[in-house]
Amino acid sequence: MLITKPKDSREIESYFEKRVFVFKCYGCREVYFPEQEINKFVEERAKSISGIAEVDYLCNESFSKIYIEKNAHVIRNSDVIVVFSCGVGSQVISKLMENNIVVPGCDTCYLNGFQGLTVLDCDCNQCGECYLNYTGGICPITSCAKNLLNGPCGGAKNNKCEVNPEVDCGWIAIYERLMKINKEKILVENKIFVRNFEKIIKGK
Amino acid sequence: MIDYTKYRLKPKNELDDVLKEVPGLFAIWCKKCYKAFENEEMPECNNFVELISEKDKIKGRLGIDFLCNRFLTEKNIKNLPENISIGVISCGLGIQTIAKLMENKGIRVLALADTVPQSGNASSIAGYHGITLGSEKCAGCAQCYLGITGGLCPVVDCAKSLLNGPCGGAKDGKCEVIAEKDCVWIEIFKRMQKQKREMSHPIKVRDYNKFSSSEEKKISTISFEKRTENFYGGVHPSEKKEITENLPIEEFPQSKYMFVFLSQHAGYPATAVVKQGERVKFGQKIAESSGLISAPVHCPVSGRVTAIEEKLHPTLLRKMPAIIIENDFSDERDDDIVSCSEWHSVPAEKLIELVKQKGIVGLGGAMFPTHVKFFPPKKPLDTLIVNGCECEPYLNADNRLMIEHPEEILQGIMLARKILGVNNVIIGIEENKPVAIENMKRAIGEKQGFILKELKTKYPQGAEKMLIRTTLGRRVPDGGLPLDVGVVVLNVGTVFAIYRAIVQGLPLVKRVITVSGEFERQGNFEIRMGTPFKDILEFCKSKISENAQEYCLKMGGPMMGIIQTDPDSAVIKGTTGFVLAKKFFVDSSEKNTCIKCGRCVDVCPMELYPLYYAYYGTRKMWEKCVEYGVKNCIECGCCQYICSSKIALVDLIKQAKRNANNKT
Repeated sequence: MLITKPKDSREIESYFEKRVFVFKCYGCREVYFPEQEINKFVEERAKSISGIAEVDYLCNESFSKIYIEKNAHVIRNSDVIVVFSCGVGSQVISKLMENNIVVPGCDTCYLNGFQGLTVLDCDCNQCGECYLNYTGGICPITSCAKNLLNGPCGGAKNNKCEVNPEVDCGWIAIYERLMKINKEKILVENKIFVRNFEKIIKGK
Repeated sequence: MIDYTKYRLKPKNELDDVLKEVPGLFAIWCKKCYKAFENEEMPECNNFVELISEKDKIKGRLGIDFLCNRFLTEKNIKNLPENISIGVISCGLGIQTIAKLMENKGIRVLALADTVPQSGNASSIAGYHGITLGSEKCAGCAQCYLGITGGLCPVVDCAKSLLNGPCGGAKDGKCEVIAEKDCVWIEIFKRMQKQKREMSHPIKVRDYNKFSSSEEKKISTISFEKRTENFYGGVHPSEKKEITENLPIEEFPQSKYMFVFLSQHAGYPATAVVKQGERVKFGQKIAESSGLISAPVHCPVSGRVTAIEEKLHPTLLRKMPAIIIENDFSDERDDDIVSCSEWHSVPAEKLIELVKQKGIVGLGGAMFPTHVKFFPPKKPLDTLIVNGCECEPYLNADNRLMIEHPEEILQGIMLARKILGVNNVIIGIEENKPVAIENMKRAIGEKQGFILKELKTKYPQGAEKMLIRTTLGRRVPDGGLPLDVGVVVLNVGTVFAIYRAIVQGLPLVKRVITVSGEFERQGNFEIRMGTPFKDILEFCKSKISENAQEYCLKMGGPMMGIIQTDPDSAVIKGTTGFVLAKKFFVDSSEKNTCIKCGRCVDVCPMELYPLYYAYYGTRKMWEKCVEYGVKNCIECGCCQYICSSKIALVDLIKQAKRNANNKT
């Protein structure tokens, strides 16, 4: 899931020295949108703001286009357009207004489970060659910090990853899952996997 | 639009290998997301069966929408055959979800499909599209560079994810890694030139630790909790209650002419019992109930009947007869208004009759005649729930009633409790009404049998079925009533009306409404039924001077309210408020294409799949809508609120219900 957090104010402060038009995209509000922080930030700089658009799904190009056409006189006469949305929304507005300076007001972060419809505690890396058959349905690429395909690195301490102690070792979870379905032998019987990155380029 | 196809079947030899290992396979396939919803058939499962050698090993199949939605998927997987493995055709998320669900059942879950990479970029593997189906992608790197690159993303679109300019390998503007791709750094340069900007930012080094896993976990947890707290689904629109929550209830000035509709309740319209020219008094019955589910209507002022003519009804949206009364402003009271403070000694049947005679109906908006709920039930009844949620944005009518009249509401509850013969009372109030909660608590004091529940604020908490689920954990069966689970639900407004009807003898001729939004005078008003809309508009005055077409006036709240266009319509018993607010800049339409983003499924509190109402509704296949449970829909509007394609889902649902009822 793509979510946003406001950029450090020092990073975008200088834009507000000119006339700014602000886009706020509420599309993902039900998941997470730092609405209050952004509202406060914008209110504090009210005197340099020429207009505020509160819309949802900026990424829907046809709707965004209609909005821009309807409000063209205000938007195009602003010096800078600051977009509080995910990177997709910022790119769509940039594309629609190629001749204007469009800057993002947020950093976009990734929550597990984006390509599905909702936030999840598991994730898919879109590798193009699913390994889940051999790992009891736990993805080694997304649950192992080192993306190891052929077993653990051996560095886990008390079940925790050595790269990031906040996270459980994915390979221990895989082993435990396979024990539950009496298939732990898979791990020793299988051939060695080498990841084929070409699948990503030719994925389309 | 781009079809973000998320998965494709694994090759035949791999599938055959997998099948060799298992005695039998139950195939579950995801019906896909993020694609234009133009074809209901998904060939994947059939293709899979075609492809494999050992076809007889397939012991069953099941297609599910949005497999990664663990809550609904778990509900949908039932009656699994014995001694099988489950094969999943879906992206990695769906497979992992099923694997987790089956973990403790000891069932092996197999992946039958590979996930299709979306970024097309070898070094920046992840690239995610937005909710809608555009070509732009975002890697979620947590350090957006778009401000310095003219709005083109070097992380996703440069094959090497370079942040500080091109690698120098591009030939004829094309990438050296993926020859069919344009070099994004050349595009960035061109874009910057158009904007007359220089590329002079300091050197950037990507920080892979910008978004820590603890932060991610925190946000994921918040999101999970929001979705399932109280009940599954629901939305959190801006409340806007702060505008009117501290404004005391005022008496709304009486109008010269009142338009009193004969239909102010669910069921049969009442029959007028007064004639043109007749003099009527305040509180006099002017229309008699005409059936089991019906309610009488009383005169809200004193004066003279000038006509009975048709006016546009605010909820039925067609011309309905209304009694027009010319007000003489003397407020001469009818003799029937007799107070009765000794109700403790009055038998329940007598009280029900009083509730019926005083025309009490549910004031939450549905206007169901209250006396019908009071008829001795054929099923066991153990709890009375009093609904003080008022989850619609802007509205504060119930909130103000609880703040200003907690004692009266409590007496009303005692009356209802006596009539129903139950001891347990649960009063449900959303957390965003702290003063109301405090005042109600004080009124309840030490009284036995009362529980006040503070509920998390979430729309539609005030819907009967959600409230029962949250407070008692009981599920009203499909097509059933609260009575089926031993509950009667009454709105606080209704309880207050019961108190007034019995203790003060007042029939239901006044109620509290909230007028809010783009009005010069906003507030909570005690208004008489039959007050024409034009008088409200004149008294409260719209602030809008230009672009009036960009705003709309709704009777009720912004979520479930009904758009009003005729100032000659009038207040009825079910009017909870008036909200004049800016419309979204694109109108909801039935013609927009669903892209299966799944947001509606995510928020539907009835756990339905609203996208099918868009698909089958526009194709007028009503029986299919029924198959997908359209009759269970409570028309709360969450799906339409969240719809990324702005599809007029509620209209389609209403049509589907109407057509389904016509057929059966």
